[in-house]
Amino acid sequence: MEIEFWGQQFKVNMVIGCLGGFLIAIVASMFGFGGGPFMMPLMALGMGLPMYVVVGSSLLAIFFNTVIGSLQHYRFGNFDGLFFLIMFPAAILGGYIAPQIAKRVSPLGVKRIAAVGLIILGLILLGVLF
Amino acid sequence: MVIRVLVGLLVLCSFWLAGTGPPVPAQTGTGPEKILPSSVGLPKGSTAKELSSTPSAGPVTIQIDKTQLNNGGALKVSGRAPAGKPVYLEIYAEKTVRANFFDNKRDPATGQIPYILYLTDAMPGYYQIVVPKNLQNKIEEIKKEGKKWSFSKALKDLGGEAAFSQPAQIKVDKFRASILASITGSRGELLPAMDEKENKKRAMQLAKARFQKVGKLLTAAVEVNPDGAYQAQFKLASGLPDGAYKIVAVADKNLKSAPILFENKISFPVLYLSNAGTSINLFWPFLLTLAIAVFGVLMGAGGGFILNPLLVLIWPLPHNVVAGTVMPTVAFSQASGIYNYSKIKFINWKVGVIVGLSMLAGGFIGPKLTELITLDQFKFVFGWILLVLAALLIWQTLPGYVSKNKQEQAILQQFKKRAVEAAQGKKA
Repeated sequence: MEIEFWGQQFKVNMVIGCLGGFLIAIVASMFGFGGGPFMMPLMALGMGLPMYVVVGSSLLAIFFNTVIGSLQHYRFGNFDGLFFLIMFPAAILGGYIAPQIAKRVSPLGVKRIAAVGLIILGLILLGVLF
Repeated sequence: MVIRVLVGLLVLCSFWLAGTGPPVPAQTGTGPEKILPSSVGLPKGSTAKELSSTPSAGPVTIQIDKTQLNNGGALKVSGRAPAGKPVYLEIYAEKTVRANFFDNKRDPATGQIPYILYLTDAMPGYYQIVVPKNLQNKIEEIKKEGKKWSFSKALKDLGGEAAFSQPAQIKVDKFRASILASITGSRGELLPAMDEKENKKRAMQLAKARFQKVGKLLTAAVEVNPDGAYQAQFKLASGLPDGAYKIVAVADKNLKSAPILFENKISFPVLYLSNAGTSINLFWPFLLTLAIAVFGVLMGAGGGFILNPLLVLIWPLPHNVVAGTVMPTVAFSQASGIYNYSKIKFINWKVGVIVGLSMLAGGFIGPKLTELITLDQFKFVFGWILLVLAALLIWQTLPGYVSKNKQEQAILQQFKKRAVEAAQGKKA
């Protein structure tokens, strides 16, 4: 499939994009996360799109998942209103604070720390640590 | 008896008028004539008459040293049961929560996998059976069985089956799950209600699915004297549901005390999350969410990845409630992000909508599956997801990716600039 972005033509592999998006959405909505970090490589490597096309478009695609996933969770009684009211303002506030800090930290450093943190957390969840 | 009730009412009224609220005296349930008509714990068919006609057995009495706790605390239960009988205490909160259990274990008798989902909204938010202290060894043995322990087998081993009575009567729905039903977003065919015996068995499985650990459902604390007097020191943990709790002392199937009541109070900033069935100081999840939201933006991944596992590790929150409540919190930031990108025409709608529609289909199916897995399976899969994510992040810090990314970022900035200029030019 051909798409156009700012005057440039790209050939994209929609089959991989849709199949991957479908599977990522099932897992993401089942476990309650957005799925951004998985959609980025899927669209960049799997569909062959450059980064500047991926950032905005992947966010739009993920939003579909977030909306329907939230509705379905609500339908199945998995939503706690009070808990939401505690976390929601914190998430919004975090979104405003983060860009202020982002200018002062190296993105590479953050990613390295995050990777170490994720490995530790992952191993705890798998029962390997603690 | 009428006079006693009247006096009691008068005392209550005087306290109410004085504005101090009812006192907190030790409540005593004695004498079958007072307690039997209202007892919940009594099995059907055993009337006051029946019990009073067997004086040799004698009724079971129960009393507690206080009737109010503040977000948990210690409680002393004492009373009297027929000499020589072991005494069990059944303690439960009146507030109820949801519990679900998916039976996908092969039935050894028929060799078939049932694929049946059991679901209830009436599980007590707290449930505990306190067994005689000398059974501590047996509880330790059950704990050694690990995650696969069975509540019904444990109760049988501990001789406390008769104590399991409140949840035995709750309404349990039974669904036949199927792949097709999951895809269409349905729980499956609702099967006919179960008989009393099966309901009890399933309620035990649901209690285990809800409270997970042996220690959450069973403790050994009742000391029984040879003359039949018993006492138990018991600690209610913090973070449990607020409101009324009931305790019933059980000697055997037909020998139960009247339920005795106490109240668990919580006060701001501790709040009770009704769907999660947990009381929580609201500042902790707020600060955790804030810290992770900031960190999430910095590392370029949503916070849900870290937040969800941390929430289930730190608090006894059900994983389906965590998944279902964290997900909508990011909807707003995503929407504002989309708006900002669309202002500078930085979204390819064709790609976004087509891939989005396939994600819509996936997102329709996923939440249904959350209730089919156990907390341990949730943790296991999440553990692997995090390891894959960590690998993705490490790949993004490798020199090859970084230099390529630098070029792409430069192009991105250039495009952004052009886009902003174009948007402004249009305005002007």
